[in-house]
Amino acid sequence: MTQSIFSWLDERLGLTAIYNTVLDRKVPKVNWWFTLGSASLFLGLLQGITGMLLSVYYVPTPDHAYDSITFIMNGVQFGWLIRGLHHWGASLLILTAFIHLLRVFFYGAYKYPREFTWFTGVILLFGALGMGFTGYLLPWNQRSYWATTVGTEIAGTVPVVGDFILRVLRGGTDLSAVTLSRFFSLHIWIFPAVIIATVITHLYLVIRLGISNIPDKDS
Amino acid sequence: MKEEQKQEYKRKYEQAKQDGVKFWPDIIYKDLLMSFGLFILLVGLATFLGVTPQPKADPSDTSYIPRPEWYFLFLFEFLKFIPGKIEWVGTFLIPVLAVLALFALPFLDKNPLRYWKNRLAGISIMGVIVLGMVGLTIRSVITTPKQEEVPIADTIQEQIILGQEFYSVYCVECHGPDGEGGEIAGVEGLEGVVLKSISSRDEMYTRSDETLEAIVAYGQQDLGMPPNGLAYGGELKKAELEALVTFMRYTWDDRVDIPEDAAAARAIPEIKEGEVPSYEVHISRIAQRYCISCHRPGKENNEYLMGTYQEILTTGDNADNNMIAGNLDSYLIQCITGESIFDPETGEEIIQQMPPTKLMREQYIKIFEAWVLNGMPETAVEAELLTSEGQTE
Ligand code: HEC
Ligand code: HEC
Ligand code: HEM
Repeated sequence: MTQSIFSWLDERLGLTAIYNTVLDRKVPKVNWWFTLGSASLFLGLLQGITGMLLSVYYVPTPDHAYDSITFIMNGVQFGWLIRGLHHWGASLLILTAFIHLLRVFFYGAYKYPREFTWFTGVILLFGALGMGFTGYLLPWNQRSYWATTVGTEIAGTVPVVGDFILRVLRGGTDLSAVTLSRFFSLHIWIFPAVIIATVITHLYLVIRLGISNIPDKDS
Repeated sequence: MKEEQKQEYKRKYEQAKQDGVKFWPDIIYKDLLMSFGLFILLVGLATFLGVTPQPKADPSDTSYIPRPEWYFLFLFEFLKFIPGKIEWVGTFLIPVLAVLALFALPFLDKNPLRYWKNRLAGISIMGVIVLGMVGLTIRSVITTPKQEEVPIADTIQEQIILGQEFYSVYCVECHGPDGEGGEIAGVEGLEGVVLKSISSRDEMYTRSDETLEAIVAYGQQDLGMPPNGLAYGGELKKAELEALVTFMRYTWDDRVDIPEDAAAARAIPEIKEGEVPSYEVHISRIAQRYCISCHRPGKENNEYLMGTYQEILTTGDNADNNMIAGNLDSYLIQCITGESIFDPETGEEIIQQMPPTKLMREQYIKIFEAWVLNGMPETAVEAELLTSEGQTE
């Protein structure tokens, strides 16, 4: 019975082919440093899940953002855990992605034929940093308000177009409800869309090219 | 890379694959173990460290020291080394070049070798950069001054208690301990002005929290009410204004019930027959509620401060007579019972009744009297000793 359901599905979905190319493939012997890419992926997924749960109660307006976070922490069952995971997960993700970059660098894994994988990786790193920067403002507390004030000020010092960038980021001359709503939409729509598309490319390349081997002394 | 080098690499890589393992289950197993370990770590961090509560954003509080996320700290620290005139070199030129270099690394690094000993130049450059980033981050953490801790009142109870304190200090002198208003006395510049009640139904039913916050922040400057918000030259931050309004709403609005524990925490304890009151438990709270608003530095009050035990006993133009242990003719007792004090030589009134607008409730006056009669004990322990002595006698 299960056998016939499986073959019915396999005939239409190509499950065996997926199994053969993705799971049942030979890879060189590697060490624990090679787990950091998938660890970043796991943390990214966890951020996605906890983020969606937070968005159920979070309200992106200056009047209510702070109170909605307070409510998540004190009033929602396990709200503290969800927010705690999202808060610490963000830091850990940056850390794992960065160490992943260092291991790729150390083993020269960015060289032929994996240049493009490196390229998408850099986009992912800045995507993660962008998520960190925009997410930091959302609780609308003193820390977030002043960090964002200074952060956007820095963008304002760019020659010629600095003032323009500052206005686009803040949606005006000062931090306001417009800024919060811009950062919120960057944080939940724009950055995630870019990151998801890039992660898919990244993983496709990793599977297509195979994971690199640990270089020996004469390579 | 030359064509033969590419072929050579491919050949070696195929060999490594042949000598290798299956992705499933060998690699997946390690990956899952790592992810699981990190998940446990995260749950631990969320449970035991949690997320430190921060006060609400307050654009008027410019004294706040900006603190970006830790992974941006190295950049902020780096900028401190760039002179202001060429700031854009640090904020724009160098970061942009660094990002471009990172993207273009596979093309900048033409060395076909991969083993680290064969790429010492590249490895050292990256090593220096990473160490520099770590060093700058550490330096930033060390050199950023600690933020002055502001009390954050998150629960309604905490807010009410905090708000009560602010109300006692900033508002009682004009509006009275219960917001009842009346004719102002003993306040410079507003002597004789009659205030409407701000705790009435009229007031509570027609003023929203936002309105009350705006009134307290800006004041009613044309009518004589001073501003209290930091943005308008007062002393209160946004979170503190909110606590004050929460206090007013929960104590005066008959449509909302004050939480029981908040009510208990702000109540002034009563004394039983024969019990000796102490500064710690009774007097400090009564003084806070009824007197501190005028009897703090910077107010007209004959230099009589009531912030601490020592101050109550030893300050004031008439310090010698204000508090005399065991003597109900102490000036303080006379004026809180409604008698004015006159200068023995000129016959002029030097102290009016206290509080000048309206006397306190009988029970609080009694507490003050019992306190003076028993020699003004400071702590609850001393008072208890005196109580039991009194009972054995
Ligand atoms: C120096 C005296 C003074 C102090 C101190 C003061 N007020 Fe007032 N307040 C006034 C005057 C005068 C008015 C004008 C209203 C009136 O004439 O009744 C007023 C009005 C008000 C009103 C009513 C406004 C309205 O139209 O509804 C509120 C509410 C109020 N004050 C709250 C406070 C609070 C809370 C504090 C403490 C932070 C405070 N006030 C401190 C003098 C003062
Ligand atoms: C509305 C403001 C106000 C409040 C509230 C107030 N006082 Fe006074 N107090 C004054 C002023 C003003 C003086 C200066 C003498 C005068 O003008 O009568 C003074 C003077 C005194 C003095 C004499 C100090 C000296 O050395 O000459 C005593 C004692 C005193 N107050 C006790 C109290 C006590 C106890 C309370 C609380 C129950 C209280 N006051 C509440 C305004 C106030
Ligand atoms: C959110 C961020 C990222 C995710 C989810 C991710 C995911 C992965 C995964 C699952 C692998 C498989 C091998 C391994 O786990 O080590 C991998 C390989 C790779 N990653 Fe990433 N990565 C991220 C960021 C980066 C960054 C920042 C870089 C470098 C700039 C990078 C460059 C590469 C390269 C070159 C490989 C191939 C390495 C090899 O074959 O040995 N990645 N990535």
